[in-house]
Amino acid sequence: MVAFSLASAGVVVHIVALARFTADYGQLPFEGLGPSLSTLALIIGVGLIATIGLGEGRRVGIVLVPVVIVLEAVAVSLGLQPSSQTLDFQGAWFDLHVTLAFVGLGGLAVAFASGILYLVQLHELNLKRMGRLFRFTPPLTTLDRLVRVALVTGFTTFTLALALGWLWTISFRQSLDQSNPKVLWSLMIWIIFSVALVVRAGGGLKERRSAVASAIGFPVIVIVYLGLRMVSSAHGFFL
Amino acid sequence: MSPLSVVGVSHLTAPVGIRERFAFSSGEAITALDELRTRAGIQEAVLLSTCNRTELYLYPGSDVHLEAAEVMFAKKAGELVGGINQYLYRYDGSDSVRHLFRVAAGLDSLILGEAEIQGQVKGAYKLAESVLVQPPLAGPVIHRLFQSALAAGGRIRSHTPIGEGAASVASVAVELARKIFGSLSGRQVMILGAGTTAELVVGALERDGIGGLVVSNRSYERARDLAAKLSGNAVHFDEMPFALAETDVLVASTAAPHPLIALDGFRHAMGGGRARPLLILDLAIPRNVEPEVGGEANVFLYNVDDLREIVDDNLLARRASVSDAEAIVDEYADAFLRWHDARDIIPVIRNLRGRWEGVRRSELDRLLHRLEHLPADDREAVEAFSKRLLNKLLHEPTARLREGAGNGRAEEFIDAVRYLHDLKDTGPELAEESKQVPEGNALKDGEVEQEWTNTSD
Repeated sequence: MVAFSLASAGVVVHIVALARFTADYGQLPFEGLGPSLSTLALIIGVGLIATIGLGEGRRVGIVLVPVVIVLEAVAVSLGLQPSSQTLDFQGAWFDLHVTLAFVGLGGLAVAFASGILYLVQLHELNLKRMGRLFRFTPPLTTLDRLVRVALVTGFTTFTLALALGWLWTISFRQSLDQSNPKVLWSLMIWIIFSVALVVRAGGGLKERRSAVASAIGFPVIVIVYLGLRMVSSAHGFFL
Repeated sequence: MSPLSVVGVSHLTAPVGIRERFAFSSGEAITALDELRTRAGIQEAVLLSTCNRTELYLYPGSDVHLEAAEVMFAKKAGELVGGINQYLYRYDGSDSVRHLFRVAAGLDSLILGEAEIQGQVKGAYKLAESVLVQPPLAGPVIHRLFQSALAAGGRIRSHTPIGEGAASVASVAVELARKIFGSLSGRQVMILGAGTTAELVVGALERDGIGGLVVSNRSYERARDLAAKLSGNAVHFDEMPFALAETDVLVASTAAPHPLIALDGFRHAMGGGRARPLLILDLAIPRNVEPEVGGEANVFLYNVDDLREIVDDNLLARRASVSDAEAIVDEYADAFLRWHDARDIIPVIRNLRGRWEGVRRSELDRLLHRLEHLPADDREAVEAFSKRLLNKLLHEPTARLREGAGNGRAEEFIDAVRYLHDLKDTGPELAEESKQVPEGNALKDGEVEQEWTNTSD
């Protein structure tokens, strides 16, 4: 209850702050790195509340809360102003595209946190000790359910986001710029989602494989994102 | 010093065969307390009766009352070779207070830090409260004492790891199952063979609401008997592999001289691989399950040594927290004893203030009679001055009295104040504030009494 109240209070404050941003600048906080990261942090916060609704899921907060704090800290340090660049893709379809993509990334973040805790609990059970980590970490089945729900939700929304982006591109630009780092990054996220879902469709240690894929996938997309940002200065704007 | 006393038997002084002769059901306890009040005139009392202890707390614990308590115990236990005194222990004053606080915290329990005793202590208090006599047996001192004991127990549990970690093979099994499956609701359990520990484990799992129980044994008749006893279904031993495929928790405990579940057989039974988690608790020696089975996907295999090691680790962690728990016991016991001593001060303070208030009133009347020419405002100012003066004069002595009582010097200070101020002996007075509750763990009305037979202190 305390965890739920604190997380809810944090999300409400965040929503109020971003609503003020929207009122001040006349646009949703989807353009510019600072506002985008802040919105992503908000969506991960909402994901945390959703996991708390699934009983022992509140413990994933131990991984998700630092992720949210880092994202918000980076967002604030970069400045919460809209991008000075004018985007071609704008309006309601753009807002829907970004919202769906962020919900997808939020899903991957929840799967990452749950996957890490799953592997920790599995390790504790195999170690045959009942230490503090064993007692703190939720049951395997709870964590596996969280991984599964987060991956399915994230994959679905991210796929829809990609579809919207693709539709817009082929409608207005006729072709997809495959060297655009944004496109490459999005495809990589989609592949990571697919791998995490495909490995849990098999038999044997499917839960562990899925947890490993989720636990690795999220850091990989963060690292790749940072790398692409460094090399993308030559290509102009990238998120 | 508090005149509280406790007399009783526990697992530390008597074996189970003796302890069970001292055990009181709820009805018997009410009758016994009623008789103690009627025949021996006890004032406040609580009878705590669990599987591992029977104790009578008395306030005040005079020799006459304690003798009556011993007679009550002797009557209950019946003829015992060597008499009952060899099993009884008795604590008086602050020792009895600390004893109750240690009991409520689980520090005196058979399994260190076990949690049930907290409910049992609460139940014993509620039982005394339910005895319809006036004044009530759960009077102000006993009320405060038990509230403080429960508050101390609650704080110890929340601030130390004294109750953390399973402390028996059965509770380890339940904790493992919960950490794998979350809820045990709907889970299938199989018991292979029979044995006391296996039955205890299955009993503990059943209390968590399992979905179904299957019993298998080389002797089908024995399997059927055990299944009937545990409300499960018996399966023939050769059908066991098929049942195993549907099982979530397997408790193996046969006396077979070789493993009954080998890796090949297990793989065959699972049809190649296990799709969902299987917890195997191999309690048998020699082991019933080949260790290699534990390497299979989704199989969590624990043998009796693994489980014992977990229990030992947990108990070690509990023992390491005893000194912290004892410090909390001391803190709460000292607070109770200070309250108890300060309680005797309250009537003396009232008496003191009453005496000097009378003097102030009569002197003021005399003065105002002589100063009748003063206007009303001035007369009020004089009266206010007299009140302020009296308050200032009595403030320091009152504060020192309370402080002295809190330091265990109540009797000495009371005598001095009475002598110096020529106060009459007012006797003990049960101030309304005596009923005030210390922090946390208040007893709630209507809580269900604990039956001793359901307890495990």
